[in-house]
Amino acid sequence: MLEQLARLGRIGIGSLEQLGRGHLLLLYMLAGISELFTRPRLLLNQLFSVGVLSVLIVAISGTFVGMVLGLQGYYILSQFGAEQTLGVMVAASLVRELGPVVTALLFAGRAGSALTAEIGLMKATEQLSGLEMMAVNPVKRILTPRFLAGFVAMPLLAAMFSALGVLGGYFVGVGLLGVDDGAFWSQMQTKIDLYDDVLNGVIKSLVFGFVCTWIALFQGYGSAPTSEGVSRATTRTVVHSSFAVLGLDFILTALMFGE
Amino acid sequence: MIDDEPLVTIRNLRFFRGDRVIFDGVDIDIPRGKVTAIMGPSGTGKTTLLKLIGGQLRPAAGTIQVDGERVDRLGTRDLYRLRMRMGMLFQSGALLTDIPVFENVAYPIREHTGLPESLIRKLVLLKLEAVGLRGARDLMPHELSGGMARRVALARAIALDPMMIMYDEPFTGQDPISMGVLVKLIRALNDASRLTSIVVSHDVREAAQIADYIYIISNGKVIEHGAPDAMMSSSSEWTAQFMNGLADGPVPFHFPAPGLEQDLMGES
Ligand SMILES: Nc1ncnc2c1ncn2[C@@H]1O[C@H](COP(=O)(O)OP(=O)(O)O)[C@@H](O)[C@H]1O
Ligand SMILES: [Mg+2]
Repeated sequence: MLEQLARLGRIGIGSLEQLGRGHLLLLYMLAGISELFTRPRLLLNQLFSVGVLSVLIVAISGTFVGMVLGLQGYYILSQFGAEQTLGVMVAASLVRELGPVVTALLFAGRAGSALTAEIGLMKATEQLSGLEMMAVNPVKRILTPRFLAGFVAMPLLAAMFSALGVLGGYFVGVGLLGVDDGAFWSQMQTKIDLYDDVLNGVIKSLVFGFVCTWIALFQGYGSAPTSEGVSRATTRTVVHSSFAVLGLDFILTALMFGE
Repeated sequence: MIDDEPLVTIRNLRFFRGDRVIFDGVDIDIPRGKVTAIMGPSGTGKTTLLKLIGGQLRPAAGTIQVDGERVDRLGTRDLYRLRMRMGMLFQSGALLTDIPVFENVAYPIREHTGLPESLIRKLVLLKLEAVGLRGARDLMPHELSGGMARRVALARAIALDPMMIMYDEPFTGQDPISMGVLVKLIRALNDASRLTSIVVSHDVREAAQIADYIYIISNGKVIEHGAPDAMMSSSSEWTAQFMNGLADGPVPFHFPAPGLEQDLMGES
């Protein structure tokens, strides 16, 4: 009994310690941002590997999700004779929810896991220690550019996801199922609000980009310097990021669309 | 700065990993301009010692002085300034794997100096020439053999002309030829630029061949120190066992364990 209580306590303290370490790392990473202005190349390189290399998977997924929305939406809306509002339904679900959330989940799997593995391997092969001994701060030089790149890339990827999703829905709804072309777009234009829908979606994806990249870098930087350690850290990145995204999405949605 | 004052002075160093004692009151002096070997069985904390000298780890007690500065007390900024004058050759080489050899050697120069590109190029080529790898400048780290990677790392370590280089197990995993090359190189670099070198190793023959002075550490203590000849003919049983690579002696072959018979019978 006492034994179990002690174990529970240890787990609690351990988690708190992790949380503390995570926030310290975040502070150190943020402190390095000013130095990035003198070395924009570092950021550009990372924007490429974090952002550009995720474009394909996000684009394809966005298109298919939009097409499915078009099919399902049409099926339900047509039962009420409201298939003219298909554009609104597709766009609203994408911009408010699916765009930010699914992009973040894809991002965690594609870019987050890669970041963790990269940093973890750099640690395991003493590259980070090597930088330290060269009087180069690995957090500022290696982690900060990746962090900023993830933060910037996520909203752009989410916007692309939503845009291609709308096109996918248009293709299915108007192209295949015969919804009126003009109604599809004009309903969307009048009903989708720049602040309520679009801006809130952007805020969501900024938050997700921040959290997913942070988790990925923290897991990589804190991983045990062995092949097993790196593989575990990579798994944790995907699992923790997914939970964080879904949990935060609920909270953000409640705050934004609550009243 | 007085010339015969040691470059590195370690006093009463104590360090723990969890509950395990790694160093228990170690005193070491590293003389300037010499090659000092620090030897001991694997797992005694030789790498740890280098990290303590480099300020990557902090001791639980005791002092570590490098060129008059207390490494164990320095703040980040001062520590980084001091590290610019230290080179360290990691066991694995620790080259950045995503950039070619040339960029690896140029990295510390680009980071810490504002030199123009043409001068950086000359410097890098000179350093690569010193380790015999000028022709390998465009290779990626994964295209190098182990010995070549270590030499590139060495070129990188001397890129900023440090006052001291620390070599972590430079001879392990080397074929006889690259071993010989490294031994010569370490000696030549030390003598040509009045460097201070610390070579951590468990390869007795090579280390003894290269060193001006030897420390042997084991079980958290300095067992013995002296010039190589004196160590080779040491009267201490322990030193004799280690220097001559005998399996049996005061250092047991077996890791502490219950009796074999008892273990096999499964009575835990
Ligand atoms: N990061 C670490 N965490 C816990 N223990 C470690 C760590 N690094 C090394 N050790 C332990 O410290 C001891 C000394 O390690 P090390 O300095 O690498 O030995 P050496 O270089 O002499 O072979 C080893 O027994 C090792 O298990
Ligand atoms: Mg070692």
